[in-house]
Amino acid sequence: MKNFLKRVFPYVMFGTAWVLILATFLLGERVPKQLSLLLFTLGGVFLGFGAVGIALSRIRMSPEQQKEYERGEHDERNVAIREKAAMSSWYWTLYMLWAAFMLIEIFVGGLWGVAISVVIVLHCAFYMINIHRWNKKM
Amino acid sequence: MTNRIAELRKARKISQAELADEVDVTRQTIISLESGRYNASLLLAHKIAMYFGLTIEEVFLFEEETP
Repeated sequence: MKNFLKRVFPYVMFGTAWVLILATFLLGERVPKQLSLLLFTLGGVFLGFGAVGIALSRIRMSPEQQKEYERGEHDERNVAIREKAAMSSWYWTLYMLWAAFMLIEIFVGGLWGVAISVVIVLHCAFYMINIHRWNKKM
Repeated sequence: MTNRIAELRKARKISQAELADEVDVTRQTIISLESGRYNASLLLAHKIAMYFGLTIEEVFLFEEETP
């Protein structure tokens, strides 16, 4: 069942993308401009992900290549690299958000500063939630 | 921590790719282990030691850290 869903998902995404794009054109000016933009952007994103997913699913690998690919996916060093890269990315994003927050507070102020501080809080909250989740699992 | 993987592998005339195949990791992992850039997990250390027919302590050399 999981494999079936994995196989079908890119096609569903691709189909949804066309529905969204078509809806944007069919609805035209009957809906607010922002909604139209949102539908079209979502359609574009889904189209991209769907097309890439379909292309990847059609790549035929020899059994040796398939084995090598799977080994690379589960290789403990690769897993460790991915985890370390994810952790570094978390810190980089946090520093970037802090820099953006400081710059906005100094030069712009207002709601943008509040919005970025909310994002910083969420960024840290998700981290703590995941720490708690993994603490329970391990 | 150091290890004797390269020494044992050469003594048995097997390539890094063959060893990687046997213990189900990539060749890059074997290269990193041999060069000491990566320390194996307990599970991988066990697999490698089993492959060579030795104990973990005979393959992986633990050095006490000096303060």
